[in-house]
Amino acid sequence: MDFEALFKQFLSGDVAQQASILRSLTIFLPELVLSCSIVLMLVARLVSLDRIIPTHWFALLGGMASFVIVLFQFWEFGNSQTVPVEVFTGLAIHDEFSIFFRGFLTFFLVFVIALTVLTGIPDDEDAPDFYSLLCGAVIGMMLMSSANHLLMLFIGIEMASVPSYAMTGFLKGKRRSSEAALKFVVYGAGAAGVMLFGISLLTGILGTAQFSELAPRFQAVFASHAGMQDPATRCVALALLMIAVGFAFKLSLVPFHFWCPDAFHGAPAEVGGFLSVGSKAAAFALLVRLTTSLAGDGSGALSQLSLSCGLGLGLIAIVTTTFGNLAAYSQQNIKRMLAYSTIAHAGYMLMAVSALLVLQSVQTDLVFQGNHQENGPRAMEGLLYYLCVYLFMNLGAFAIVALIRNQTYSEEIDDYKGLAQQVPVLAICMAICMFSLVGIPPLGGFYGKAFIFASVYEATNVHWFMWVVLAAGGLNTVISLFYYLRVAKTMCMDTRPADAVPVSMAASSSPALYVMLVSGMVVFLGIIIDPLSKVALHAAHALF
Amino acid sequence: MTNWLNENILWLIPAAPLLACLWIVLVGQVIGRKYAHRPLVLGLAVSLAASLYLLTVVVPHGFGHDEHESSHSVMTTVYQWIKIGTIDVPVTLRADAMSALMLTMVTSVSLLVAIFASSYMKGDPGYPRFFAAMSLFVFSMCMLVLAGNFLLLFVFWEAVGLCSYLLIGFWFHKPSAAAAAKKAFVVNRIGDFGLILGIFLIWQTFGTLDFAALFESPKLIDGILAGQPDILHWICILLFIGAVGKSAQFPLQVWLPDAMEGPTPVSALIHAATMVTAGVYLVARCTPFFVHAPYVQMTVAGIGAATALIAAITALTQYDLKRVLAYSTVSQLGYMFMSLGAAGGGEGLALHAVTFAMFHMFTHAFFKAVLFLSAGSVMHAMGDVIDMRRFSGLRKALPITHWTFLAGALALAGVPLLSGFWSKDEILAVLAAASREGEHAGFYGIILAIALLTSLMTAFYTFRAYFMTFWGEEKFPEEAGHHPHDAPPAMAVPLAILAVAALGIGLMTGPTHLYGHYLHHTPGLPHADEFPIDWLMMGISSILAAVGIGTAYQLYVVSPKIVENLQRRLSLAYQASQNGLYIDWFGYKFIAAPLRGLAAICEFVDRWVIDALVDCVGFIPGLFGSIIRPIQNGMVQNYAAVMMLGLVVCLISVLRVLVETH
Repeated sequence: MDFEALFKQFLSGDVAQQASILRSLTIFLPELVLSCSIVLMLVARLVSLDRIIPTHWFALLGGMASFVIVLFQFWEFGNSQTVPVEVFTGLAIHDEFSIFFRGFLTFFLVFVIALTVLTGIPDDEDAPDFYSLLCGAVIGMMLMSSANHLLMLFIGIEMASVPSYAMTGFLKGKRRSSEAALKFVVYGAGAAGVMLFGISLLTGILGTAQFSELAPRFQAVFASHAGMQDPATRCVALALLMIAVGFAFKLSLVPFHFWCPDAFHGAPAEVGGFLSVGSKAAAFALLVRLTTSLAGDGSGALSQLSLSCGLGLGLIAIVTTTFGNLAAYSQQNIKRMLAYSTIAHAGYMLMAVSALLVLQSVQTDLVFQGNHQENGPRAMEGLLYYLCVYLFMNLGAFAIVALIRNQTYSEEIDDYKGLAQQVPVLAICMAICMFSLVGIPPLGGFYGKAFIFASVYEATNVHWFMWVVLAAGGLNTVISLFYYLRVAKTMCMDTRPADAVPVSMAASSSPALYVMLVSGMVVFLGIIIDPLSKVALHAAHALF
Repeated sequence: MTNWLNENILWLIPAAPLLACLWIVLVGQVIGRKYAHRPLVLGLAVSLAASLYLLTVVVPHGFGHDEHESSHSVMTTVYQWIKIGTIDVPVTLRADAMSALMLTMVTSVSLLVAIFASSYMKGDPGYPRFFAAMSLFVFSMCMLVLAGNFLLLFVFWEAVGLCSYLLIGFWFHKPSAAAAAKKAFVVNRIGDFGLILGIFLIWQTFGTLDFAALFESPKLIDGILAGQPDILHWICILLFIGAVGKSAQFPLQVWLPDAMEGPTPVSALIHAATMVTAGVYLVARCTPFFVHAPYVQMTVAGIGAATALIAAITALTQYDLKRVLAYSTVSQLGYMFMSLGAAGGGEGLALHAVTFAMFHMFTHAFFKAVLFLSAGSVMHAMGDVIDMRRFSGLRKALPITHWTFLAGALALAGVPLLSGFWSKDEILAVLAAASREGEHAGFYGIILAIALLTSLMTAFYTFRAYFMTFWGEEKFPEEAGHHPHDAPPAMAVPLAILAVAALGIGLMTGPTHLYGHYLHHTPGLPHADEFPIDWLMMGISSILAAVGIGTAYQLYVVSPKIVENLQRRLSLAYQASQNGLYIDWFGYKFIAAPLRGLAAICEFVDRWVIDALVDCVGFIPGLFGSIIRPIQNGMVQNYAAVMMLGLVVCLISVLRVLVETH
């Protein structure tokens, strides 16, 4: 191909369902804006511009701008008959689902930056480093959510992980912080290695790394060989397992969760909040994307594949939730407790993915209900709704931890005794977040859980094992009550010891308003359910 | 413009007070605390205008009896609240003739009471709080009336209960007010329990809670009746239990007299004119169900009669002016239920029974509101003294209050041509009709007798209160200061308007059958012929009113000595009446005390059995923690080892599964 032809393709050369490079670049605009703001931040420090304009403004404006662009893309999708397209020659995909997650992540980024501004965690000196790491991680996560190729999958995960390692160790003076970062790195490297091995196995056997091609190739491999006994099929299963290890690491699923409590304990609470929501959301987006494309149309061998994947994930979900909840119970440090709670919540969310795969496995084989076609999107709607509520309730909890730390220099639950007497705003908002994390109506967490459990219940029609998953989910909700409410009880019902460090915060100060906004959203999402659930359902439909 | 109004009128009615509430809570608490009543008055004016407009929307082609066919309901789905799987909870507003009339009543009385309260509550430290709670109440009440399904109705049924609680306990630092608020809440809970069970049963039976689906299609009910002939009896009795709680009927009437601890405008609005009539509204709304449950209708009539009688007897000897009015409210609500129950007397009576109950509710709202507000005005002038033994002869000192109270009292006593006369007379007439025919004629005969007796007592106790307060020698309590002042303009104007309404609104809508003809447009009500005017009952009730008033005049103005003699001679009966026939005492002794015992047992079980179990459960995570703690020891080598182990276990299990398949 000569230069002219290349250039022509660059401008307009649409292959079927693939956007040209120019169009790809416009679609990629939110990520580009974020990248530009990173560059700007670094250049600003070079020319000492950051003495005049604080760095967080660059990050905040960059985040907002990319959120607005994503919103615009969403609006474009809703209004015109835009169809999903593959961008950058099929490496990534642009559909409602990826837009939903990109919007989610940029929105979250804005909230995290606002929080760090309020708590003052990177000081002026470190701000450019911190915010470029933060924005970089978000770009990685956005890539994860729109990945359409195994290569992109790996790059996305690594791009999200590497800045996370650095941010975990951001409190350079603190031994615990550096240690946590190192553990995180070692662990992450191990998981990435296993995953890369899995990816190369899969690519080698199936001869493609394109998500959309995986299902037909697998069927072809399955048909040309003697079924499950054949080494090729086994290799596929092993490769998938190894890729799953990478996901398990990102989602901190048992037994690949060890980094999580240590990292959260060592990292500043703001970073903890960021990791617990952001990387989880991106990893779920990617997991859902990969598994649904593997499940394909659920015919023949794919049905069996997606059923066994679903049941396996269900089993891991049970173990993870139970483990997280039981281990959280005996924690004294609130960040450690929240780390285990994050593990448990990853388990709940994994139940939705498990239900989805189990439901997909009978897409064409059996039709037992009129609205059966809706079951898959419904499960996804549950996951997306849960993630949105989770954003607010978890961020709220971490924000309150950070704000209290700024005044008491303590993150032990015992030091929270009787805070309701001194800072009722924080105590009430914390109680709201905790109640929502348990899943008590009428808070958002309840509806998230209700949606997920409803789709697990639907999945019980397909396989009896989902009853076990459902029961485990219910039982775990009860167990989780103990440790969440302990925090609320300590803050609201105990009396503040006389020698405790006093905490003060006016109800109209900006940190208090921030916390009220976040926990207000938790309440809001528990009362006004319809708009968000509709958007979530709309995004979920893009996958099917 | 008209189209826009027709489509949006429904949500406008509750939205105006809701906005007022939000404004007062968010802004009014801080800025302009003295003017916190303004948003409410404005909001209510909008609501009233909208309600009046709604009257013309639901019945578009005039009021005549002939256009029966054109009657329809207006519906809007404001918001799709929850939609998970098959569970679908829309927030649907629905209005028909019945709800439009009720809304007009609610918003007009609320508006006048709000204006009255703006002066009455002046200087109270909780001024904005009062108006916030009151706006919330009007919003909830409008939503209760507009609810398009049983679930929404229940939500706002509870919401008005909450507002009632907040307003009874408005002066929460007074222990008696706090206790009264609690009592009202707890007693209402019993009724609410019945109501929610009834709603569950409706869902179970019909599979829908939507009013339009349930009431506008007789086929659905007929289909259910063919399969389960008794089910509607159960549904109706449960719904009626809900109504008994909210409308303070026997045996749950105990909360209403105590509720007078709240500010007087609240007593006038919530505990006389609007909220307590929600029970009547519920039963009237569910008429399509009740017509299939004649025994429940007889129960309704019986309970109504018992309540009316007991409350009237109690009211005879009370000294607290507001309590007299409270018992009178209970008694009048009993009247309404008697009327609703009369529907069981025969096929053709159902429509008239409902119409007359709703009509009495309508007139009662006005004359009872004026009575209460006048009592409030007396209280205002007397320095919060309300015991009638401590003041008398106020008619010179408080002329406006005197005249308005007299107007309300005449209407309540049933003096001919005033509003109470028309509505009460119609109830008596429909009871008389029920006692003339049908298999339960004897039963309704007894009910009619009780109604007549109650009517006599009503006239007596109303004028006893009137004469004790406004006649006799002029006497003020010390709290009042030397020169008690009459109602200021902001109180006097609403009083005057309500007094005029109390005198005239029955005349305007009663003999012309305007109200009845309008209400007939409610979809789902059974059809019936014109109801003849019962001259006999009219005559008897006029005589009874005259006798009652005359007796009161004789006893309390001409020769008060007789009263003292009577008190001594009939001290046992007097004591019984004074103490409300010991129903409260009975309730505490035989219901509350055993419950307290049960509570003690439950507490024991909770502390020593359930808590112990919970502690055991709580022990498990600790145990678990001590097992995993050695693994999570911070050594990265260990982590890697466990991770490897995990991977190997997963690998083995996947391989095993693969081998087992095929």
